[in-house]
Amino acid sequence: MKTLNEVLNSGLHGLYYGNRLLLPFRADILKAIIENDIIMDFSSNSSNAEYNIYDDFTEIYFYDYKDISEDVTEFETIKLVLVEFGEDIFDFKNHRKIALHVKEHHKLEIEELNDDILLIE
Amino acid sequence: MKPKILSFFIGVVVFLFSNAAVFAQEAAEQIAESTGAVHHALPETFTVIPFIVLLLLIATGPLFFHHFWEHHYPKIAMFLGLTVVIYYLAVMHDTHSLLHTLAEYLSFIALLSSLFVASGGILIKIDKKSTPMLNVIILLIGSVIANIIGTTGASMLLIRPFIKINRNRIKPYHIIFFIFLISNIGGALTPIGDPPLFLGFLRGVDFFWFIEHIWYMWLPTVLFLLVVFFIIDSRNKGEETGEEDFTGKIEFKGLKNIGYLLIILISVFLDPAVMSWVPSLSPLPFGIREIIMFAVVYISYKTADHEILKANEFDFEPIKEVAYLFIGIFATMIPALQLIAHEANVLGNQLDAGIFYWSTGLLSGFLDNAPTYLNFLSAAMGKFGLDINIAEQVKDFALNHPLYLQAVSVGAVYFGAMSYIGNGPNFMVKSITERAGVKMPSFFAYMIKYSIPILIPTFFIIWLIFYYGAG
Repeated sequence: MKTLNEVLNSGLHGLYYGNRLLLPFRADILKAIIENDIIMDFSSNSSNAEYNIYDDFTEIYFYDYKDISEDVTEFETIKLVLVEFGEDIFDFKNHRKIALHVKEHHKLEIEELNDDILLIE
Repeated sequence: MKPKILSFFIGVVVFLFSNAAVFAQEAAEQIAESTGAVHHALPETFTVIPFIVLLLLIATGPLFFHHFWEHHYPKIAMFLGLTVVIYYLAVMHDTHSLLHTLAEYLSFIALLSSLFVASGGILIKIDKKSTPMLNVIILLIGSVIANIIGTTGASMLLIRPFIKINRNRIKPYHIIFFIFLISNIGGALTPIGDPPLFLGFLRGVDFFWFIEHIWYMWLPTVLFLLVVFFIIDSRNKGEETGEEDFTGKIEFKGLKNIGYLLIILISVFLDPAVMSWVPSLSPLPFGIREIIMFAVVYISYKTADHEILKANEFDFEPIKEVAYLFIGIFATMIPALQLIAHEANVLGNQLDAGIFYWSTGLLSGFLDNAPTYLNFLSAAMGKFGLDINIAEQVKDFALNHPLYLQAVSVGAVYFGAMSYIGNGPNFMVKSITERAGVKMPSFFAYMIKYSIPILIPTFFIIWLIFYYGAG
């Protein structure tokens, strides 16, 4: 299993298939923004989104989207506020903001958000 | 609560339009004779139904069936628009109204999209700590700039830095006041500021007439709203930002796009009605101006700095949304506007400046304010036996009856802030804000929590001071 920092430093990418995203690290997702949708409900009752943490990766489903590559365009990103699995979720210093760029061949480019990109937690 | 609000809204809209239609139909012949501006029979009352349906869907879609609406709004807007187009073609045999509306739509979307794309290639970074006073300064500067690069250009240019500065204490009211001031009211001083004034300018109103006759209403309105904002913002302490260092630097990237903005501004004047040497492309529903503006859309996007586009998260979706929705709005509102214009003409002699102010305003809050402005300007001129189609008579009207022109102009621009659909930039600002992770109020919440309690009293005071008992 890789940490988020290892993934970011080594430029590892995630994957997407339709509305399923696979991130090569383990994390609790606090907030997701895709297009105009601000998603914070990841409960089992949610009809919008769900995520599962496995041994080597985290998977997210965005149920309202059939194929995210059709909705997220060239300069757009999917934005996530997350906490790496195992870290103190209540410490804001552990809250990380990342952007996922949808690329060809099912690749998801993972980038830590800099100050230029807007993401209000 | 929601069904009650919904039924109230439906009731108001149906009442408004059905009454307009009844009055209008009774007086159709009388008006046709008196105004000379009407060349076709009046549409049937039921033809406003697609317009009412579209307005209701715009209001309720994002609220009650968000994802259905998000995926199908282009088809719905086009379909509803098409029903009216077919009615005008097959039943009324009126291609004139359709071509005229198409030309207005193309002008509208050319200006909006060119300002949107050109300003999307500019990045402003302000590394300062958010304070109520800094926010007031930005809103004031934005209100002034809106008169130079339009409310759309100013909104696109400033919304991201405004959100970034306030990232630790942002609340919906920040964005709402941004929409009130920069996306609407700020742009009341020049024809470039807001599309209705631009249409007035094309009809013959002097370029500087607006600043000369509106500044003394603009200034107190802007200052009053800034004071209200300052009071609200001062109570918002936000998160502690003690750990953050602010350099105080202001960065500006994408200078060449300022050049594109200048081209757009200059092209605004390239109209055969303003400059006689400009060739008319009639009967095509667009002119040289629109060709230049669409060329700017293409060139500025193709030559833009990708880093800036990435930082601005540039996406055509907000302008696509406006383009599709307004195709539907422009097409479906043709009969509604014709019926309203007729009623206004019929009742012209009984209407004073205050009524023109309120009626232009309240309709501009939900219809596109540009055609609404023209119809009420036409009605106000009709009251004095003047014809909006004759530039000399428009100049005469502006000179001798400034109170009426002022009432219609202020009503059209100010009330655009009443709802998300009152003016093009409102929707764009909402979309950009949501993509930044800030939840915005729904269509109804925007009005109930903000525009009705803040703007209506403000507009009432304006009416009391300037129009009550006048004209």
